[in-house]
Amino acid sequence: MANSASATASVRSSNAIVRSRLRKNAIIRALSIAATVAGLSLLAWILGDLLFKGFSTLSVSLFTMDTPPPGSAGGLANAIIGSLLITGIGILIATPIGILAGTFLIEYGRGSTLAEVIRFVNDMLVSAPSIIIGLFVYQVIVAPMHHFSAWAGAIALGIIALPIIVRTTQDMLQLVPDALREAAYALGAPKWRVIVVVSYRAAFQGMLTGVLLAIARISGETAPLLFTALSNPGRTTDMSSPMASLPVVIYNFAGSPYADWQNLAWAGALLITFSVLTLNIIARSFAPKTRN
Amino acid sequence: MSEPHLTLQTASAPPQILVDPAANPKIAVRGLDFFYQTGHRALKDINLSVAERYVTAFIGPSGCGKSTLLRVLNRIYDLYPGQRATGQVLLDGEDILSPRYDVTQLRAKVGMVFQKPTPFPLTIWDNIAFGVNLYEKLSKPDLDARIEWALRKAAIWEEVKDKLKRNGASLSGGQQQRLCIARAIAVKPEVILMDEPCSALDPISTARVEELILELANDYTIVLVTHNMQQAVRTADFTTFMYLGEIIEFGQTEQIFSNPKEQRTQDYVTGRFG
Repeated sequence: MANSASATASVRSSNAIVRSRLRKNAIIRALSIAATVAGLSLLAWILGDLLFKGFSTLSVSLFTMDTPPPGSAGGLANAIIGSLLITGIGILIATPIGILAGTFLIEYGRGSTLAEVIRFVNDMLVSAPSIIIGLFVYQVIVAPMHHFSAWAGAIALGIIALPIIVRTTQDMLQLVPDALREAAYALGAPKWRVIVVVSYRAAFQGMLTGVLLAIARISGETAPLLFTALSNPGRTTDMSSPMASLPVVIYNFAGSPYADWQNLAWAGALLITFSVLTLNIIARSFAPKTRN
Repeated sequence: MSEPHLTLQTASAPPQILVDPAANPKIAVRGLDFFYQTGHRALKDINLSVAERYVTAFIGPSGCGKSTLLRVLNRIYDLYPGQRATGQVLLDGEDILSPRYDVTQLRAKVGMVFQKPTPFPLTIWDNIAFGVNLYEKLSKPDLDARIEWALRKAAIWEEVKDKLKRNGASLSGGQQQRLCIARAIAVKPEVILMDEPCSALDPISTARVEELILELANDYTIVLVTHNMQQAVRTADFTTFMYLGEIIEFGQTEQIFSNPKEQRTQDYVTGRFG
């Protein structure tokens, strides 16, 4: 009798526990969904606004004509060319250095104090405010040369991209199983061959993703370009002269009182957002699938 | 005391004396000690002779040093700073631990197959060509012939001949392991080290790899680490029982399993510990 009574009591209490767990689960679940919806709707709002305000200005002339003086027709061709050049050269500077540095950290320096210090400093550099990097390049390049230049802009963007590439290279090489390296060494392969044929091959997709994400990151940077490449109302491919870029043009035009400039700024913002979005999607499609 | 399933298939026949490994060893280990970075002494005064063109198995409980000993034989431990071996390991009479012994030449002579299949992220063809290209400059037809030879030797040619351009990782686990064996054979080594080569494989793949080991022993000296005693019985001519970094007993496999001299060997092979 007493036994069955306590058994019933325990069933009841376990029901109470289960009920309270279910309740807590429902609350957490509701909060998570609410947070997701809030985040996503903000994003949708931004994208929607951009599409709405930028779309009307989208036209062929946007890609063929340069930034106009207020009141006349124009486009963003000079800024698009400038952005492509500055970002492209920046990434060309950062990629080899970044990949080699990441390679050193994992393949050569693993476990050494030097590697640990570099890794720590690099992680700090990843989150360094970009305006500080812009000021730094201004100090070292722009000020001594006495003029703004696209080179300085490309170098500033390269410095921002560098730690991102180092970091992803390092992470991706770390994922390459040591067993794979050992197997190559066991065949008598020299170290450089193991790195190039085995490690790079195994980590290729991840490293490529890192470079694409770095491009996405620097193509929207404004602050460092204000101190380096500045801007240029005309079209130029001369890297030693000031050069227009999408983010800086957006910054200048959006703050101007002229409606046609503001419209161009919206179109530029639309352009840059969707290119970054596209890059991210491409990067994602390249990203290594989680194994096992 | 002795488990019937552990006796050799040939148990009814009188024990056959194979060869004295010490008489003309392919590999002779003399007074070998091994230390990890932490200073832990993982191998203690190892003395061992490996007979040419026979299968020698290392058995023993986890952590007994059998894999460590195997990894000394091609100096793969060199990759990890802080690990060191002292003593002598003579391959055809030459000390491979000597700094003058070129590690690339060593690994050309001593191939290795690992616990988990390790196909490179390359095509099946490139997987095999990788090792060959390290030592020889073969013309395309010669290289093709070599690759076919190695894949046939590893008993996987029929399964992969139509997909040589496919990624090595697309094969099943058992096929990957045979691909790795083919890769090791392709550089024409004299010794093949196998570190628990079947532990990640299903029983059917295991049986195929074991058959392969028996066949390869006609041409190669094979050193096999296994935690599977049945496997040692099925494949090895000689067996070394190791415990806590020491060799407890070495002998012909049949003797080790049916008539061990040491109590600890007896306890281990009858499943009393380990």
